[in-house]
Amino acid sequence: MFKRKLFHNAYGKTLPYLLLIPTFAVIILFIYWPAVSSFRMSLYKVSPFGNKTIYTGLSNFENLFKNPDYEKSAWFTLFYVSFTVIATIFLSFILALLLNQKVPGSRFYRTLIFSPYAVSPAISGTLWSFLLNPVVGHVNYFFMKAFNVQVLWLTTKPYALYALLFSSIWKALPFSIIFYIAALQNVSDELLESATIEGAGTLRKIWKIQFPLVSPITFYLVIMNIISSMFQSFAIIDVMTKGGPGGYTTTMMYRLFLDAFAYQKTGPASAQSVVMFLLMAGVTIVYFLFGERKVHYA
Amino acid sequence: MKKALLILVLVGLIALTGFSATKIQFWHAMGGWRIDMLNEMAQDFMKLNPDIVVDVQYTGSYDETLNKLVAGIQAGTAPHVIQNFEIATQKMIDGEIAVVMQDLIDKDPTFDVGKFLPQVLNYYRVNGKLYCMPFNSSNPVMFYNKTLFEKAGLDPNKPPRTFSELYEYAKKLTVKDAAGNIIQSGITWNLNSWFFEEFMAVQNAPFVDNDNGRTGRATKAVFNRPEGLVFFKLWNDLTQNGYMLNTKAVDWTAARQMFLAQKVGMLITSTSDVALFTDSEANGFVTGAAFLPKPDNSPAGGVVIGGGALWIIGGHSKAETDAAWKFVKFLAEEEQQIVWHLGTGYFPVDKNSLENLINSGFYAENPNLLTSIFQLLLSVQTYNTNGAVIGAFPEIRNIIQNYVEKMLNKELTPEKALELAEIDSTKAIREYNELF
Repeated sequence: MFKRKLFHNAYGKTLPYLLLIPTFAVIILFIYWPAVSSFRMSLYKVSPFGNKTIYTGLSNFENLFKNPDYEKSAWFTLFYVSFTVIATIFLSFILALLLNQKVPGSRFYRTLIFSPYAVSPAISGTLWSFLLNPVVGHVNYFFMKAFNVQVLWLTTKPYALYALLFSSIWKALPFSIIFYIAALQNVSDELLESATIEGAGTLRKIWKIQFPLVSPITFYLVIMNIISSMFQSFAIIDVMTKGGPGGYTTTMMYRLFLDAFAYQKTGPASAQSVVMFLLMAGVTIVYFLFGERKVHYA
Repeated sequence: MKKALLILVLVGLIALTGFSATKIQFWHAMGGWRIDMLNEMAQDFMKLNPDIVVDVQYTGSYDETLNKLVAGIQAGTAPHVIQNFEIATQKMIDGEIAVVMQDLIDKDPTFDVGKFLPQVLNYYRVNGKLYCMPFNSSNPVMFYNKTLFEKAGLDPNKPPRTFSELYEYAKKLTVKDAAGNIIQSGITWNLNSWFFEEFMAVQNAPFVDNDNGRTGRATKAVFNRPEGLVFFKLWNDLTQNGYMLNTKAVDWTAARQMFLAQKVGMLITSTSDVALFTDSEANGFVTGAAFLPKPDNSPAGGVVIGGGALWIIGGHSKAETDAAWKFVKFLAEEEQQIVWHLGTGYFPVDKNSLENLINSGFYAENPNLLTSIFQLLLSVQTYNTNGAVIGAFPEIRNIIQNYVEKMLNKELTPEKALELAEIDSTKAIREYNELF
C-alpha cells in the first residue's frame, strides 16, 4: 500500500516533466541551441564552407562598431521601427473603431481590410514594386494624370523610404486591427452609454474610455509590431529596395541577411545577431518594467 | 502464398531502386520554364543510363542554392552535382568541396576538352585547371528598338558603337513633355555591377590585381582608373539628363519591362533574355542586337562570360561520382546544348553545337543570336576579358552597386564614388583573404 502511494507520488511528480519533454526538445533544438551557437560563432571567423576557422575574440564586434555603415543602419532601424510601430498602432486603432460601427456592409469591409494579412511579405513587396514601377506602374500613372509629376519611388531618396514605410504599415495593419476589434467589442456598451448621458463627446469617449480599456492589447501589439518590423521586415526590403539606394534603406536585419546569406560571412553575421538579441532583450525588459504600469487590466 | 508473393515483390523493388540503380542528386538555380527543360534532360539521360537515377531539384536563386550547399556540406547531405554562378568560382575552389573537373576529364579518354569555346574555358580554368563543367553561359549585349530608332530619325541599321554615339542616340530617343516628365527615354540596364565589370573588359582593363586574380590570389581592387571613370561618368550623365532610366539593384525584370513597353529605345542585358525580345516583335516593334559600345579611343577588349557551371561535389562513393560525371558530360553534349540554347538564350558552350546550328541555317534566321555569339567570339583573350576571380565577389558587387546608387542620387561625384568603391572592395578582399 505504502509502496504504491510512493510510486504514485513519484509518477505524479514526473509526469508533467515527461509531458514537457517534446516541447523542450523542439525549443532547445530550434531556438536555444542555435542561439548559443550564434553566440559562439560570433567569436570566430569561418570560411564560407566551414573548412577554415580562426578564433578572433571580440574583433567581429569591434569591426561592427567601428563601421559607419553599421551605425547608419542602426539609426535607420530605429527610425523605421518607431515610425511603423507608432503609425500602425494609431491607424489600426482608428480603423478598428470605424469597423466596429454597426453599419451595413462593415463585415464586408472588414474582410477587405484583413486581406493584406494573408499575403506573404515577399509577395506584398512584389505587388508594391509593380504598383510603384516608375514607368509602367499604376501609382505613377495616377500621379502623372492627377498632378503631372513623375516619382522614382524605389530608386531615389527619400521616396524609397516613403514607399517602404507605406507598404510595411499596409502589411502590418490587419494583424493589429483584428486584435483591436476584438478588444473594442469587450468594452461594455453601458459604460459608453453612461458616458454619453454624462455629456462626454465622441473624442472624449474614445481617448478616456475605449483607448485605456484596450491598453493590454496595445501593450501586446507594440511588442509584436516591434518584433515584426525589426526582424520580419527584411523580405519587403529585399524585394522592394534591396536596401538601396546606396544603403539608404538597409536595416540591421537586412545587413545581417546580406552578411550571412549573400556573403557567407558567418562570424560577423553572428555578431550582428548577438547585438540584435541584446537590443531586443533590452527593449522588452524596459517595456515590461515601465510600460506595464500604465496598462489597465479590466 | 500471398505472403511469399508480397516478399518477392518487395525484394524486387528494393533490388530495382536500392541496389542496381545509382542515385544522384542535382541542384540547380534555373527557375520558370527552365525547370521543366532540365527535368526533361534528366529524363533523357536516365533513358540512356537505366542504372542511374537523377533526382533534379530546383533550389532557388544562385544565392539560395549556394546557401543550401553550405548547409548540405555541414550536414553531410550535399548533392552530387550542383549548378552555381560564375562569381562563386573562387569560393567553391577555396571551400575544397568539389571534385576537380580536370581530374575527371584527364581520366576519361572519350572526353575532349577542346570542344569547348576558348572564351568559356578561359573563364573557368583557374591555375591551369578546369574546376567545373561549363553549362549555361551568357554575356551582355545591347538590344535596340528599330521602330523607335526610325521615329527618332536614327538609322535602324547603325546602332551606336562608341560612348559618344551612345550618348547622342540616347538623347535623340528621349521624349519629354512640357513639364519635363519623361515619356520615353534613351536607354536602360538594370543597376548591376556586372555591367561595370563588362565595360572594364570591353576596354581591356583589369578589375583586380594579380591579372584579375588569375596568376595569384587577388589582393586588391584596381578599377579606380580612367577606364572605370569613363563608364561611371557615362552612367551618371545619361541618368542626370533623363536619357537613361534606372532600376533598383539587380532588377532584370524592370529593365526588360521598360524595353518591352517601349519606354526606352535601348537595353543592355544578358543574352539569356534574347528569346523574350524575339517574341516581342509581334507586339509592334522590331528588335536589333548590337555589341556593347566602347569609349571613342579605347583599345579592343571583349566581353566576359556570365551565367553558371556545373560542379561535382566530393565526399560521395566512387559509383556515385562516376554517375555524376556521366550526367555532367551529358549536359555539356551537343544535343543538350542546342536544346538549352534554343530554349533559353544561353549560348552553346561547345563548338559542335555552333557548327551544327550554322549548317542548319539557324543563324541566318536569327541574326540577333548571331550578334551575341559573335561578340563573344571576337573578344580579345586577355586576363582582363577572361573575367576576375575573387572570393568576395558577391560583396564587391554590392559595394559597387551601393556607390553607383549614391552617385546617381547626386550624393557623390563619379570620381568619389569610384574611389570609395575601390577602397571598400579592397577591404572586402583583404577580409576574405585573412582566411586563406
